[in-house]
Amino acid sequence: MGVAAGVITLTACGSDSDSQGSGSGNSSAANLVMTVWGGENDKTTYQKRIDLLVKKYPEMKVTLQLIPGDGYAQKVQTMIAGGKGPDIMQVAENVNVYSSKNQILALDELAGKAGLDLEKRFGSIAKIYSYEDKVYAIPDRSGAMIVYYNKTLFDAKGIKAPTADWTWDDALSAFKEVTVPGKQWGYAGGGWWAQWWSFVYQNGGKIIDDSGKPAVASDEVIEALQWTGDLIFKHGVVPTKKQYADMGADVGGDGAFANGKVAVNTTGFWGISGLTKSKIEWDIAPLWKGKEQAVTAFGSGLAISRTAKNPEAAFKAIDFLTAPEAQQQIIGTGQDVPASLEVQKSDAFLKPAWMTKPVNMNVFAESSDFVYRAPFVPAWNEMQKAFDDGLADFWLGKQDARAALTAIQQRLESIVKPAG
Amino acid sequence: MATVMSTVAPPEQKHEPGPERERERSKDRVIGVFRATPFTYATLIIVSAVLCVPLVFVVSIALASDQTVNANTFTIIPREFHWDNFTRVFGTDLPMHRFLMNSVIISLGAVVGQVLSSGLVGYAFARLRAPGKNALFIIVIATMMIPAQITMIPQFILFKELGWVNTFLPLIVPNFFSNAFNVFLVRQFVSRLPSEIDEAAMVDGLGFFGIYRRIMLPMLAPVLIAIGIFTLTATWGDFMGPLIYLNDESKMPLALGVQYITSTSQALQAPPWNLVMVGSILLTLPMILVYYLGQRYLYEMDISGGSAGVK
Amino acid sequence: MMSKLRRREAMWFYLFASPWIIGFVVFLLGPMIASIYISLTDWDSFTAPEWVGLENYKRLLTDDPVFWKALWNTFYYAAISVPLGLVIGLWLANLLNKQVRVRKVFRTLIYLPTLVPLVATAMIFKMVLAPSGPLNDVLGVVGIPGPSWLLEAMWVKPALILLSVWGAGAATVLLLAAMKGIPRELYEAAEVDGASPIRQFWSITVPQLTPIIFFNLIMGLIGAFQVFSQVYILTKPVGGPDNASQMMVPLLFNEAFSFYHMGYASAISWLLFAVILVFTLMAFRTARRWVFYETEVK
Repeated sequence: MGVAAGVITLTACGSDSDSQGSGSGNSSAANLVMTVWGGENDKTTYQKRIDLLVKKYPEMKVTLQLIPGDGYAQKVQTMIAGGKGPDIMQVAENVNVYSSKNQILALDELAGKAGLDLEKRFGSIAKIYSYEDKVYAIPDRSGAMIVYYNKTLFDAKGIKAPTADWTWDDALSAFKEVTVPGKQWGYAGGGWWAQWWSFVYQNGGKIIDDSGKPAVASDEVIEALQWTGDLIFKHGVVPTKKQYADMGADVGGDGAFANGKVAVNTTGFWGISGLTKSKIEWDIAPLWKGKEQAVTAFGSGLAISRTAKNPEAAFKAIDFLTAPEAQQQIIGTGQDVPASLEVQKSDAFLKPAWMTKPVNMNVFAESSDFVYRAPFVPAWNEMQKAFDDGLADFWLGKQDARAALTAIQQRLESIVKPAG
Repeated sequence: MATVMSTVAPPEQKHEPGPERERERSKDRVIGVFRATPFTYATLIIVSAVLCVPLVFVVSIALASDQTVNANTFTIIPREFHWDNFTRVFGTDLPMHRFLMNSVIISLGAVVGQVLSSGLVGYAFARLRAPGKNALFIIVIATMMIPAQITMIPQFILFKELGWVNTFLPLIVPNFFSNAFNVFLVRQFVSRLPSEIDEAAMVDGLGFFGIYRRIMLPMLAPVLIAIGIFTLTATWGDFMGPLIYLNDESKMPLALGVQYITSTSQALQAPPWNLVMVGSILLTLPMILVYYLGQRYLYEMDISGGSAGVK
Repeated sequence: MMSKLRRREAMWFYLFASPWIIGFVVFLLGPMIASIYISLTDWDSFTAPEWVGLENYKRLLTDDPVFWKALWNTFYYAAISVPLGLVIGLWLANLLNKQVRVRKVFRTLIYLPTLVPLVATAMIFKMVLAPSGPLNDVLGVVGIPGPSWLLEAMWVKPALILLSVWGAGAATVLLLAAMKGIPRELYEAAEVDGASPIRQFWSITVPQLTPIIFFNLIMGLIGAFQVFSQVYILTKPVGGPDNASQMMVPLLFNEAFSFYHMGYASAISWLLFAVILVFTLMAFRTARRWVFYETEVK
């Protein structure tokens, strides 16, 4: 038991005596390790930004560690548990796993000292990564979910481009027009949390209420989910799971849209890079609205780990990386939507050099006002699993929204505890 | 065994007269159970074909265009032949040749370690008598029953304390201490060898190590080669270990390189499947080659004379 | 009292076994003890663990329906995939052991599936198992309406078993290596006695292979109870529709690395350990009746 206790103690106090030495004298001289996830393009983009940073602050040395896909959370967890966490780490929906356990630093004070005005730089998403009113990560990439629509199919039926003012009924009637049963569908569907949650918030519902309690059994949530489900089974304007599985392995909305099987798809920025090579005619539009406007934003932020030797230097790096000059690289390589509003409104973003078709890129800036604050609870993954399990039958048309959500509410109550 | 056999009724096909049968046998000397009939071929061809359908799929996707990947309209039989996908994989700025070298170093280190240690330990468990041996063997087997996932973090902390993180050591060194699977395997192999052999050697005055080195080792060649193949393919394809223990890109193995191709910025984004399949093929090819060429040492032992002791 | 010779033999045993013993003590014992301790705590892997005694075990056994579901699924999977794998492996090995032309190619093809990286395998199997995929096409020709394999709670376990059968060729390596070691004289004697090939297979090959078959059985059991990658890559969300294919190790992996319940996950792993131990001991019990060792191992 002695060994075990030793191991645990080590973990608990996170001995980092052997981590790389920080700089001396100069306050911003530092050896920083930065962890990010993604693929090759992500690596190139982050490295370009780091190169700019090091050019500006030659006393900094930043080692980029790109961790492929699924392994990211596990690797970072292991690193931190082993007392050797990164200095700067990319975080997203599960940010509060770390913040709630004090594994990343609250950044308000550092931001204040550096004179960084988050609202000015990032607008409505400035404090998206906060926990108990403190900011734990600076937005870095952030794009609203947008509507992709097939121009050819729309034109054929004389339907005008979707707008932010479309109501649920407008959307549904457009979907119905372009649906050819068993062959072509109006909409790719809203089965992913980012999609049906948008409808929930549009309907005045909330996944987690203001006091931090789950609220998924409310009428607003039930109605929104039922609407999403009805698109599949009542109206037949969305492919069933079985129909999707027949389109190919792992084909979801993105793939079905790219091969012209569905006329509308709601997803993130990444759809664009795939579609620049597609044969179909398409454009993008902001998401329609319900009782009010609401849309999910995808993105990630940069946080500073508890074990960072020189938090000031790490913050200085983050400050630079999220400022326009470095942010421009994010769109330059077609990686993602930069969180910086200034860049989102610049020509670099509106007319990227790699874009081969006229695409209404202004949609992202337009949508950013509608972004709702998604509940990034510490038990994010567990909450998602509860939805996955609890809605399995619903998405197969075997259960109604009320029954499914009532059961999920119960499970969530034991998973999600109000903070404090 | 002969007594068992004598009770067996002669099979119906043996209608030929005795001498002719003798002559035929001495010509090709194929014993019944080893004789390949058309039925054997038919079965093997069907089984291989069924097993290969998914692999043809892999090739088909590897040769597909980006459009096909996007629209996800793959076919089993290749329709398009975009061989440039193979060069594109090398066109990335990932140091593929470096990855390959790292894979070779890690895998060979692991193979050498397992082959050297497993034979020794397995032989001891099969043949040598000692107090506490059975209890120890139960522990050997028991260690396999704990999922590796659960000891991962404590193990990481251990290797961190040893200062081995971001080196090949956590991936290679443990192999020099054998593992339960291999120990059990060698033990089972040794236990089917007649014990008269080592008893005779004992009488001849060979010590235990002498028996192991001179008598056992040659007879264990097939199983040690099998262990080598298993260790090689397992280490070659492993990306979880390297993912956890290595930080520098310059130290990463090929399997992790393929993982990079698969990886995307966003969870729901589809990876470039054609390049993923190219990566998978490139990762698999060396192993196929090793297995194809290595099997003669594994299976043709009786020809090369390695297992002469059994005869 | 041990004789001098016996003592010398024991010394050599411990000397020969020392690599494993040292490796065990240095690399495994510590982490194992740590995981037992962790299983008695509530630990998120970041902050200090909190002692909860047997609470995790109690909750698992009395208050976690998913655990029981996963346990049942794992039983189901092991009970079918292990015997199936053994029989197919033995059958293929016997075919490959014949004097077949281009047998090197056949052997390689049959071993190939185990070499293909999992990400590729997963992608391909999702295509093969699609509701209107090639497999169901084939079933359709025979007049069987194929199910939506990965989408239906009832069929997702058989789909995983199918994937395990696809890799059954891996077992042929050991079986073939062992077959090559069977003294030829035994077959020659049987041939003279006029035994048919089938009789030779059952009376010589199989009994001679029992130690290796037994090895495959034990490893198959342990492997099946710890099945992970197949579930992890083939079913999304991990565990299939409403945990219909949730198995023990994916379950504990989720608890440990998605939900940060290290203590709970460790408790699952020790319960799994106990289950596997029982089955393995049962297998060892029966071994005395059907495994033929040349020398009795004591």
